[in-house]
Amino acid sequence: MSIDNEIRLSMTRRHFFSRTATGIGTVALASLLNPKLFAKPGGLPDLPHFTPKAKSIIFLHQSGAPSQMELFDHKPLLQKLHGTELPDSIRRGQRITGMTSGQDSFPVAAPVYRFEQYGQAGAWVSELMPHTAKIVDDISIIKTVNTDAINHDPAITFIQTGSQQPGRPSLGSWVSYGLGSENEELPAFVVFVSQTSGLNIDQPLFSRLWSSGFLPSSHQGVNFRSAGDPVLYLSDPPGMRRETRRRMLDALEKLNQIRSAEYGDPEIQTRIGQYEMAFRMQTSVPDLMDLSNEPESTFEMYGPESRKPGSYAQHCLLARRLVERGVRFVQLYKRGWDQHNDLPRDIALQSKAVDQPSAALVRDLKQRGLLDQTLVIWGGEFGRTVYCQGKLTTTNYGRDHHPRCFAMWMAGGGIKAGVSLGETDDYCYNVVEDPVHVHDIQATVLHCLGIDHKRLTYKFQGRHFRLTDVHGELIKKILA
Amino acid sequence: MQFRLVLLLSGVAIAAGGASPQKPIDFNRDIRPILSDTCFACHGPDEKHRMVGLRLDTKDGAFAERKGGPVIVPGDPAASRLYQRVSAEKKAMRMPPAGAGQDLTAAQIDLLRRWIAQGAKWETHWAYTTPVRPELPTVGEKGWPRNAIDNFVLARLEREGLEPSHEADKATLLRRVTLDLTGLPPTPAEVNAFVADKSSAAYEKVVDRLLASPRHAERMAMQWLDLARYADTHGYHIDSHRDMWPWRDWLIRAFARNMPYDEFTIEQLAGDLLPSPTRDQLIATGFNRNHMINFEGGAIPEEYHVEYVVDRVEATSNVWMGMTLGCARCHDHKYDPVSQKDFYRFFAFFNNVSDKGLDGRYGNAEPFLQLSTPEQKNRLDNLTWQIECKESDLDDEQLAPQIAEWEKQRRAAIAPDSPKDGLVGHWEFDGHLADTSGNYRHATVPRGEVTWAEGPVVRSAVFSGETHASLGGAADFNSGDAFSLALWIRRSGSNFTVLHKSDPGRDHRGFDISFDEFIPVPDLRRASHLSFRLIHKWPGSAIVVRTRERLIQGDWDHIVINYDGSGKAAGVKLFVNGKPYETDVLEDTLAGSFRTSAPLGIGDKHVARPYKGQIDDLRVYNRQLTVEEIDHLAIHYPIDTVLASAKRSKDQKSRVREYFLTYAAPENLRAEYRELNRLLKEKKELEKQIPSTMVMDEGEPRETFVLGRGDYRNRTEKVTADVPSALPPLPKDTPRNRLGLARWLIDPANPLTSRVAVNRYWQMYFGTGLVKTVEDFGSQGEPPSHPELLDWLATEFIRTGWDIRAMQRLIVTSATYRQSSKASPELVEKDPENRLLARMSRFRLPAETVRDNALAISGLLVEKTGGPSVYPYQPEGVWEAIAYGDVYSAQKYKQDHGEALYRRSMYTFWKRTAPPPALATFDAPDREKCTARRARTNTPLQALVLLNDPTFVESSRKLAEHMMADGGKDAQSRIRYGWKLATARNPESREVRPLKALFEQEYANYRNDRDSALKLTGVGESEASAKFDAAELAAWTTVASVILNLDETITKE
Repeated sequence: MSIDNEIRLSMTRRHFFSRTATGIGTVALASLLNPKLFAKPGGLPDLPHFTPKAKSIIFLHQSGAPSQMELFDHKPLLQKLHGTELPDSIRRGQRITGMTSGQDSFPVAAPVYRFEQYGQAGAWVSELMPHTAKIVDDISIIKTVNTDAINHDPAITFIQTGSQQPGRPSLGSWVSYGLGSENEELPAFVVFVSQTSGLNIDQPLFSRLWSSGFLPSSHQGVNFRSAGDPVLYLSDPPGMRRETRRRMLDALEKLNQIRSAEYGDPEIQTRIGQYEMAFRMQTSVPDLMDLSNEPESTFEMYGPESRKPGSYAQHCLLARRLVERGVRFVQLYKRGWDQHNDLPRDIALQSKAVDQPSAALVRDLKQRGLLDQTLVIWGGEFGRTVYCQGKLTTTNYGRDHHPRCFAMWMAGGGIKAGVSLGETDDYCYNVVEDPVHVHDIQATVLHCLGIDHKRLTYKFQGRHFRLTDVHGELIKKILA
Repeated sequence: MQFRLVLLLSGVAIAAGGASPQKPIDFNRDIRPILSDTCFACHGPDEKHRMVGLRLDTKDGAFAERKGGPVIVPGDPAASRLYQRVSAEKKAMRMPPAGAGQDLTAAQIDLLRRWIAQGAKWETHWAYTTPVRPELPTVGEKGWPRNAIDNFVLARLEREGLEPSHEADKATLLRRVTLDLTGLPPTPAEVNAFVADKSSAAYEKVVDRLLASPRHAERMAMQWLDLARYADTHGYHIDSHRDMWPWRDWLIRAFARNMPYDEFTIEQLAGDLLPSPTRDQLIATGFNRNHMINFEGGAIPEEYHVEYVVDRVEATSNVWMGMTLGCARCHDHKYDPVSQKDFYRFFAFFNNVSDKGLDGRYGNAEPFLQLSTPEQKNRLDNLTWQIECKESDLDDEQLAPQIAEWEKQRRAAIAPDSPKDGLVGHWEFDGHLADTSGNYRHATVPRGEVTWAEGPVVRSAVFSGETHASLGGAADFNSGDAFSLALWIRRSGSNFTVLHKSDPGRDHRGFDISFDEFIPVPDLRRASHLSFRLIHKWPGSAIVVRTRERLIQGDWDHIVINYDGSGKAAGVKLFVNGKPYETDVLEDTLAGSFRTSAPLGIGDKHVARPYKGQIDDLRVYNRQLTVEEIDHLAIHYPIDTVLASAKRSKDQKSRVREYFLTYAAPENLRAEYRELNRLLKEKKELEKQIPSTMVMDEGEPRETFVLGRGDYRNRTEKVTADVPSALPPLPKDTPRNRLGLARWLIDPANPLTSRVAVNRYWQMYFGTGLVKTVEDFGSQGEPPSHPELLDWLATEFIRTGWDIRAMQRLIVTSATYRQSSKASPELVEKDPENRLLARMSRFRLPAETVRDNALAISGLLVEKTGGPSVYPYQPEGVWEAIAYGDVYSAQKYKQDHGEALYRRSMYTFWKRTAPPPALATFDAPDREKCTARRARTNTPLQALVLLNDPTFVESSRKLAEHMMADGGKDAQSRIRYGWKLATARNPESREVRPLKALFEQEYANYRNDRDSALKLTGVGESEASAKFDAAELAAWTTVASVILNLDETITKE
């Protein structure tokens, strides 16, 4: 596919968000087309490639990179190794960041938090994640995810776009481009950003993470904000009543219709439609954000923070409301996991804010019968080092970036429940069994949506680009 | 589905020029694209991944004799292996293999068959041969062409059996050409003058006026900013600000003086390598410093150094060559004759810049050019020279014997000594917690731990933020007691309590020393106030004094608090580093004792805020210290403790040196040292006032290697700078550097440079290039719709001495450009993308122009050229939601006021990780990478911007004011006036009616709701004219908003 082919495609869809204007509009050629093709609200005509398991994705990205050793990868031997030097046989000369490469010593820091086994499969989960522990039979934990990047900017860009360097479309944009939306009054790809719950300073984020890259810009994620307009410029200006707005749009349509008749440019008809859509969004988005009709039990399930606009908990709840309405891709970012220092303190604060709402989201989707058709993904951009960054004491330590293994979990449409996949070594430093590369995660996510990651391509600068570059294997062991 | 494919093919056929059954097949137009897209990936230039040794991108390969028969037998498809395989019935035999995602359509297979049947004529790729100026084609309609362009366009139309459209009406034409050449709409006066000018050259006069306007230079720069990935921030990670606007202003100046494209090319790619380059020629090289720059903590310099060079290669090859060289970074190019080695040879041209891998924390990254005025430059040179002189006078070699001698004498004369009188608590923190005052209140650590590091007085205690140290019953004073507290601190945070003696159970009775929240200060540092509180009851009965100046976090500071026992704020004096410090009294209400039995402590979170940082030499006196004693404790005593030990750290050595030069050296040396410090300070201040811009230079030559898989860690073969081997070679006498490369690019024999440039101009006016893929002239790009026209324009560009302005003039004065953009349904059906040009293209304005147009129509636009970027209205929180703290620049959006709100959009501050949201909604790129072609979308979010963004609401209100002030008295004439301002034409009465009805309705509404009227007309910072009734102005604002939202208003017709 390419910008050049967009025009052909645009004939086959009427989706308001993905309609591009490279030339021809829907009306002029409508009569030439098989009317059945109009049934599809956006997306490519040859997609899905096969029957999808999931219709929607909720990606709970934990920005800054949570430590796998404190949360999901139980390494009992570390208690004995605490304070000993990381052996060369484990480090194997692999590169480390500029933040710890100058350290004289790399002492092992054992996690201060306890693990127990939960669920039928006896999955190990730390005491920091008591609510997640209760849903382990609904999720698959992958302990052997690995990535190519070692610092935040390239790593988060990599997991979101398949490339460490900027310029590629994000996962959500690919999905919006390929599948369109089930709800024409909301964007196909919605983004939420929640701030840190820890005391360390947050890692920054970048709008490129939800950018459409070289795909048409209508596929970029729409950031739903917690302060001001939820969608930029959504509210009418002060002093303008809805009836006034309605009458303005009516006059505008009349005038645009006159022009359309005269010039025959199909873009004018599209624009008329877009103004109507904008008008409807002014109702549909506030409806979505209005939680006053949610029962008390909802807030209990997601925790007290879910009443607080902008909180991760409220974003989880909104994510459920979005997929209920057919939104294709919901991307959350929870900032604040970059614990180079004071890790025990900050990881507890972060976990407290994240654990209950994440688990509640899975339970909530399940009780509504939505989990089967929604894929939920939880994880950061890399893991953290077993060795201590900075001073190691009995109660305090920090951990640097670690790309060679980290833990994520996935749940819902297309994913087996209750699997713990992969083994790392006793130092939680290298993968011993079942490595899962970031490109494998991306290939698997697309697969759950009925997309062959090798066949969803876009021609740009002469090349047929895809999300997984020339890589990516399905994680068969967790596919339902 | 079948139906869709047919349609798809017909689209391609139109664009590429048509290969109907009757016409001969054209290899470059019809066949190469098929082979390239479906075969080259496995049978193309990439040697490593080539399958079965077959290549179809060269003539030799395609006609090779192979086992099983020749690949292609001219005239005999059935005998050609190529055709046999693509048409094979059996899946296993068929090419391309299933699952490759590149299946051939039946029509494509048929094209291949016919091409072979017609003799399989092979041609080299069109873009890699030097353009030859074609003859003008003869046309039937001899009266239509106005210049050569039209002969080519008309000849093609006549072949297709189409006629050109009639010329657009004068108002439409003027609006079109004014928007195209200046990015702004014409004024009604300009429209009237043009309509009234019946002379034959009326249009050409207008074009010449527009081309000479400074607004035209800005409009040309607008397109180049996308290509140059210009932005005001670094792009990676923290994405703080940089100053490249001096480069942007150079660009505008270059267009304003119509710098020829060859010169324009040389200056941007290699201005620094010209003999005695001017300042402007150096600034111009900023083109290749506009790439993103990183300083993420922990990033690896070499990794990013490689990325910067790769970006220069990608941008340069895209902009000047229309080639996607970047594809050959990891392996040989899959489609075009560019090997991986070619890529790294090209890379070598840009590899010697003296930049660092990680830089930019404080703004511009090295190398950069300071843009001082002559006076500033003189002063700076003079300061630098003076500083050098002073430094050489005071250099270590000369000073060492003097310092040694002084040390010897001082050590003999003085042992470290400090005031003992009244000392009731003393924690030296020299690796121990003992109280050495004689009261034995040794510190205990109930929580966390204390560690040790070097301090001003021997060693110091380090508190982690989790550490709590208790000093027991020390400092047990009553309100009438005079006392003094002295200590060294160096904190690594803000919002801390340094020292506390406080009883939370009794209204916080006691006292404490604390720091408040920091504010960012220059050089990425933080500063906060120091406060001292004496509390009887909190709140309500206390003394609070606070330093007027903030103290910088991270420095060692000696703090003394003297209290005279008066119970008044006036009785508290603060000293920092031996000097009395001005304070503000925040509270002076102490009405009772502050005495408490609570222990003196540091970092007890139950009582106060934590403390993170170092503390040294903490002293409590039951009397006030004298000024001399304070001076001694802060300045002299610490040095004596250093002198007492023979072993010195680097830091201690420099402290001794500084002390000597400040206090102990002979007066002439001390004076010189004072002068040196003054000069350094002045230089720093001066440098802050001088803007800078990043430039290219040739530093130490770096070796260049082919990088396996493009990874900076996999160096393989060493290479030197050269151009891709498939293109004409660099002449022998040309230097192998950027200047040689630039000269090679502008050599008339270069097949790409002029074609790529004129094609981009074409895109600017017609919405689509003659080669649609303006960034890719390779085999994966689309062949030109009018190949002869492209070559004629390319040769004309060179013939005129690369005259950019003449080229714009040529295009906009053509009959092709002057056509009406109205299209019949038949024409839309036959040529939806308008590749045949039987009409003028009609499309939405670029993002910047959408906004500039509204500002101009409403009279808000401020026409001022250049200068630092500006911060117009932006919804709150767009930057902050993703920012990194608030110490770095460009993390918090600080909106401008006044005229900066109404500058052209090209001057809006461009933050890469959060681009200006309204512009981004209209497809402006984030400028992370070179962009040659923007998407043109049509979305509901765009409607929301035009309806609700304060810029557009304010523009509506201002337009309404003009309609009321200058549009006559009655509603209809006001509507006509506003309509003409926006569209350059008079509305028809059927267009006036809906707006008149709207006005009447809303006027009635707002008269009954004046609050709302005031609110609506109060949007924006420009004042609403008091001349008008708010209700009426509000009603006209709604009408004006509809006018600004018309499809016609945001469209070039």
